[in-house]
Amino acid sequence: MAGQSGSQLSLFTPDEVEFVAEDELVEIVPNLRMDSLNFICGDYGPFYPQIAIQVPLWLALALKKRGKCTIRPPQWMSIENLTQVLEGERESHAFQTLPFHYVEISRLLFDRARDDIPDVYMVRSLVEDIRDVRFHKVETNLENFTNSSLVLQWKNMAAMEVNIIRAFSGRALQAFYRHENEQAVPDLDRTQDRQPQNLNDRPRVCRSFCCIPIFPLHHWIDKIVFISCLLDYCPTIVFLWRAYCLFVVPLQRNLRPR
Amino acid sequence: MGDYYDIDDILAEEDFVPVQFHKAVNGVKIDESSERGFVEQDSKAELPFWLARGLHLQQAISIKVPACFNRNTRLEIEADAGSVDLRSRCSYFYEFGCKVAPYCDKSIGLLVSYAFKARYKEVLYKAHTKAFAAASKIMTFLTKEETNLYEAAQSSMAAFRKWRMGGPRLQRASILGRKRKPAE
Repeated sequence: MAGQSGSQLSLFTPDEVEFVAEDELVEIVPNLRMDSLNFICGDYGPFYPQIAIQVPLWLALALKKRGKCTIRPPQWMSIENLTQVLEGERESHAFQTLPFHYVEISRLLFDRARDDIPDVYMVRSLVEDIRDVRFHKVETNLENFTNSSLVLQWKNMAAMEVNIIRAFSGRALQAFYRHENEQAVPDLDRTQDRQPQNLNDRPRVCRSFCCIPIFPLHHWIDKIVFISCLLDYCPTIVFLWRAYCLFVVPLQRNLRPR
Repeated sequence: MGDYYDIDDILAEEDFVPVQFHKAVNGVKIDESSERGFVEQDSKAELPFWLARGLHLQQAISIKVPACFNRNTRLEIEADAGSVDLRSRCSYFYEFGCKVAPYCDKSIGLLVSYAFKARYKEVLYKAHTKAFAAASKIMTFLTKEETNLYEAAQSSMAAFRKWRMGGPRLQRASILGRKRKPAE
């Protein structure tokens, strides 16, 4: 199952990220005539020879494997664009705008559709260079974890880069958070109860309904039960209310002086 | 503070802390050297932390600073945190420090936090790109928590490299690869 490949944090293997990346649309030029294909994710087609059409990457690769189409490399994968992106990466500290799944798409196209890409070696070396420069920037950003607060925002990172540092940065941030907390609030009473801290956002059910009034409020009974059912309070409270109403109230009524 | 059943939590509390008894205790033999079966008031001993904490809540003892947070370690960390061998001092340096700090010395919390930040800046953030030979040298002096981080980075980087090299998308199950012996 996706997301279950790690031990504690939910982690994705690179293959799973590639699987998700195959949903991106690419343009193909089919060489056959086919009726439209109806999938859950959408309808594609009908396919006419030599008429370009947009399909998901997985479909494009499947057709290519059977020799039924040629894949047009995406716009961002031209040599001019990649050279420009590489220059931009080298000059500035920020990440340049690239498609989210550029690593996976480029790798899949190099492997399966090599003959459809003009100047494939040049393009390949440019993509590798871009990847190296960006990862170097990722590392430099990782070094600055300590200086910033607990919320970090890096724009324009790609899926594969995020996946590589996901386990590491998740654990590192947890460790920093714990140490900051220890410094801020060291108190002895906390060690007495063994419940975990608010690191995970567990919704807290409001227990303010526990102060049940002692005197009977007949005309409030149904309202209270109704509200508690609405707000999903503990059913025990509802049960106790009903029991109270059924058994205690009549007794009190009998004991009251007429 | 960690789960009750978490093994790392349990092991982190195993380390000994020096304590001083406020009350005399009957029927226990803490020091192997003493033949008598009780501990006098104001005597010093070493107890595991989980025991010391329970006794501290009953106000029977007071906890002193453990050896791994003493002055020598502080000076070494301030000098060069990246090369201090914390594993030999205490495998669970950070966890243990966080637990002990409320009882004896609040500045341990600061020390632990400072040590982690310094070591992170010098050693850990490069975990993704370190070569294997250098990595094995560094890992001998990382604590358990840092090793956790380091290995997470290394394994995710290794998985990425393996993916990039390619290979067949469908892998043959190993059980199919064995040659069957003809049934006699």
